[in-house]
Amino acid sequence: MVGLPHYLIVAAIMMCCGVGTILLKRNAIGILLGVELILNAANVNLVAFNRYNANASGNLDGQIFAIFVIVLAAAEAAVALAIFLNFYNNFSTVDVERGDNLKG
Amino acid sequence: MPLPALLLLVATLLPLASFVVLMFWGKRLGNPLAGYIGTAAIGASFVCSVIAMISWLGGGGSGEAHWEAGIKPIAISFPWIPTGLGISQQTAGYMDMGLYVDSLTVIMFAMVTLVSTCVHIFSIKYMEEDPRFPRFFTYLGLFCFSMLGLVIGGTILQLFVFWELVGLCSYLLIGFWWEKKSASNAAIKAFVANRVGDFGFLIGFGILFIYMGNASLPTLWRVLGSAGQGGDIAIAGGVVFPATMLTIMGIGLFCGAIGKSAQFPLHVWLPDAMEGPTPVSALIHAATMVAAGVYLVGRIFPILTPDAKMVVAIIGLITATIAALIALAQSDIKKVLAYSTVSQLGYMVLAMGLGSWMGALFHLITHAFFKALLFLGSGSVIHAAHHEQELPQYGGLWRKIPFTAGTFLVGVLAIAGFPFFSGYFSKDTILVHAAMFARSHAEAMHNSWYWLFFIIPTGIAYLTAFYMMRCWTLTFAGKPRNHHLHDHAHESPMLWAPLVVLAALSIFGGKISVQTMLRNTIRETAAICDTQGKYVGFDTAYQQHLPGEVESMETSPGEPAGETAAAGHPDDALESAHHLVLWYVTGAFLVGMGAAFAIFVRGYYYTDKLMQFAPFRAMHTFLRRKMFFDELYNSVFVGGVRMISSLCGAFDKYVIDMVVNAIGWAGRILASISGIYDKYVVDGAVIGSGKLAWSVGAVARGLQSGRLRGYVTIMLLSLAAGLVVAMALYLR
Repeated sequence: MVGLPHYLIVAAIMMCCGVGTILLKRNAIGILLGVELILNAANVNLVAFNRYNANASGNLDGQIFAIFVIVLAAAEAAVALAIFLNFYNNFSTVDVERGDNLKG
Repeated sequence: MPLPALLLLVATLLPLASFVVLMFWGKRLGNPLAGYIGTAAIGASFVCSVIAMISWLGGGGSGEAHWEAGIKPIAISFPWIPTGLGISQQTAGYMDMGLYVDSLTVIMFAMVTLVSTCVHIFSIKYMEEDPRFPRFFTYLGLFCFSMLGLVIGGTILQLFVFWELVGLCSYLLIGFWWEKKSASNAAIKAFVANRVGDFGFLIGFGILFIYMGNASLPTLWRVLGSAGQGGDIAIAGGVVFPATMLTIMGIGLFCGAIGKSAQFPLHVWLPDAMEGPTPVSALIHAATMVAAGVYLVGRIFPILTPDAKMVVAIIGLITATIAALIALAQSDIKKVLAYSTVSQLGYMVLAMGLGSWMGALFHLITHAFFKALLFLGSGSVIHAAHHEQELPQYGGLWRKIPFTAGTFLVGVLAIAGFPFFSGYFSKDTILVHAAMFARSHAEAMHNSWYWLFFIIPTGIAYLTAFYMMRCWTLTFAGKPRNHHLHDHAHESPMLWAPLVVLAALSIFGGKISVQTMLRNTIRETAAICDTQGKYVGFDTAYQQHLPGEVESMETSPGEPAGETAAAGHPDDALESAHHLVLWYVTGAFLVGMGAAFAIFVRGYYYTDKLMQFAPFRAMHTFLRRKMFFDELYNSVFVGGVRMISSLCGAFDKYVIDMVVNAIGWAGRILASISGIYDKYVVDGAVIGSGKLAWSVGAVARGLQSGRLRGYVTIMLLSLAAGLVVAMALYLR
């Protein structure tokens, strides 16, 4: 019987993958992918908590929240891609290591 | 406005019109048209004055004939300057401005315009070569306007305004040939000497104005008419005008006359003023302007105290004496005449001081005629001699310029007192009054020194006859001493025609109605002074010693016999004084002139012999150098001022500069201390705080690497740390 802990473990693995991607990837698109993984890990958690919460049976709050997050992620991806485009225009690359203009 | 006043006003304004026209269009009108315009204007003034005189004598003015042959004085005034409260006023009033016309005004107008006209005509010829011909007539026009305005002015303030204007014209005309350094210096000297006198005048005027709040002549006479008695005077508002202040005021106003009439000690400017063109010397520095001082004293006569009059008399006596002595040794023809003028002005002032109002003003009028004649005569001589003025260069000129010689001789006779010439009458009047003054005072005060007031003027009469005849003899008689000059001498009708007119007046001036009109003036003025029943001593201020003198004065010489009879009983004192004086004056004429002619007819032959005696030579040098007045004033005043200024300069240089330098030095020291503080303390704080911020920033900037993954790492580590802390807190 698959229970709540299984979902949480999957979510944690997804989360770790996302963080790892962000830390290790130098490509901006890769980092964006990592961010998407982290967001979706959170979505899995939200839906799972709603499904296995006895007090919440019959309502779909978690699912609805997850849908909001997906929408936000789409918007965030659009903004991020626009930033990357400008980044590429300025540096002819999408390597984030090169973009250290804010260095103090 | 009554007819005479209107005519006199027109006569005053005509020269002003000529001045304005010549000022703007003079250069375009050129030579001689500008001269004709100026002459026409003053000639018209003369005609107006004569008509005014006729109308006045006919009693036609106000229609109120108060005297047998005169009319009530015309006083027209209107408010001019608003003033504050004086001592005696309850309400603030106005300074008046106005006209005052009485017999003296009328007669002065006739004299001034007549002499001016003669001088204008003379100048057209005399100045014909001058490049600034139109300007000369411009100045003359301004002068005539100012002089006539001075005479017609109804208040002391107005008198002062025109007084300054004539002074300005005098300055401009003395310095007319300003290319000559001596001329411009003389102009400045005249101006400065007059300033000194005017300073006194302003003090006197200030005292007068503080007490009176009004300076119009009739008001002064009405309120202060009893000053001649020498006591305090109660004026309106319960205020007392103290006798001391009255005396100071009188002397102050007289200081103005000292300057203007070239009295000792300010007489030094007049001889130098001879640097101006000769017609100017005739008009301004002999006949009219210098007489303004005597005129002023005549106008303020009723408000002079006995003490003030004594000062006036002494100043006049000193002036007359020293000027007559200096005139003996001058070699410049104009300088002789200049000192003669100073001496005669001293005579007039002396007469004023002795209380002989009438003698002074009578002499003023007659002197104006014969002195203008003498100056214009000297101008003719100078013109004939191509601007040579030294007597040693002349001699025997009568053959070449007979009209000048003849008219000049008339002038000499008149000034020397030839019987029945004008100078004889006026000098006689003064000497008679001087004799009476001396006798009454010597008896009253038991002091025979008062006789000096008679003896010295008589002595001066001898000297006058002597030096004038010396001047004539050296110029016209004897043999020519400079043949070149003698051969080229010539004269022209334009030059001698005015001389003939003035010569006629010098002969007959004593017999025309001058004295009658002056006597009317006395009555008119006395009437104003007497409105409060106060006494005014016009013929002599010391009348109480000689009862009935006003009556006896009526029999002054030159009067028709009928009037003498009408006046009643001649006083014995006067009669004897008159006879005494007659002998002295005639003696003066005979002795002085005879001696001069005898000595100088052979040129300098006898004097050169006399010159071999050392004492005589020393005295001659003393007089020739003008008693060293110029040197004295130069060393005392100019040198004194220079010394004071060099002392001030040294004080400035060593004391003030030292203080200033010390203050500067102290400032510099303070500034350097402040600079050190600034550099090390203030700058240290500022730089230190900057450095602190820099080092903090240097540490903090290491965190801001700009690397995205670094940020994420830090974020995760913080998150992990936060979780650990949260867990630890939860589990506890």
